[in-house]
Amino acid sequence: MNFYFFASPATFFRLAGAMAPMFFVLAAISGAVGLYLGLVVAPTDAQQGEVYRVIFIHVPAAWMSMFIYFVMACYGGMTLAFNTRLAAMMARALAPTGAMFTFVALWTGAFWGRPTWGAYWVWDARLTSELVLLFLYGGFIALANAFEDPRRGDRAAALLALIGVVNLPIIYFSVQWWNTLHQGSSVSFKGTSMHVTMLWGMLLMAFSFWMYAAGAALVRCRTLILDRERRTRWVRALS
Amino acid sequence: MDHQFYLWMSYGATALALAAEIVALRVGRARARSHIESERGLEEQD
Repeated sequence: MNFYFFASPATFFRLAGAMAPMFFVLAAISGAVGLYLGLVVAPTDAQQGEVYRVIFIHVPAAWMSMFIYFVMACYGGMTLAFNTRLAAMMARALAPTGAMFTFVALWTGAFWGRPTWGAYWVWDARLTSELVLLFLYGGFIALANAFEDPRRGDRAAALLALIGVVNLPIIYFSVQWWNTLHQGSSVSFKGTSMHVTMLWGMLLMAFSFWMYAAGAALVRCRTLILDRERRTRWVRALS
Repeated sequence: MDHQFYLWMSYGATALALAAEIVALRVGRARARSHIESERGLEEQD
């Protein structure tokens, strides 16, 4: 398979147009089932009561905030190493969705923290490093749009994305490296301490957010392609 | 405060954030298409 074929904006534009609706459908179905499991089927938590149900969006949003940043940084690396237009556009396309999930993780965390810890916000290592991630997303978006020549903006933002990757292990391991108010992971590759319906509800919501992020990034990338390639023959041929 | 307040504030804000992003995606696409159309119109005038 020739991967350079898919790196062509014209080819990718059509492929993304066909794939994005499928991602949105998968997101809607898995989201509906995940919400049903999380809000209806999953039992009440013995310690936290009903308010624990915030985890069905808080944890998947937090996972996606880190995962999207990692993927964005990979595209940033490809932009700097190979100077590919499409990689730069994909990095730009992912940033607003990643920022949105980071905001959702912080916001829902605040509304989980208040009834369980007694405070909406504490300068805890996990919370602070997640806030730094939101600033990194904001910095990426601002830097990418700060140049008149979009290719210069691509490279500057890609460099910031790569530097910011150092924050990801800090977020993930913060609950182990420091004494934090935030609880440790309930789910790991070794197993889980959660009830099976809670676990499936959370995993389905994570899958839903993942599919949504993929669909949204593809739609945004198509818009960027249209904007940047608007003087090319194939874009003019579009109706 | 009742647990429903915290749940509504969390789920409601998430729904709003998703809706805002979807609207922004649609607006961005419409703007890109109108740029193409306006450039095409200018060329036809020339």
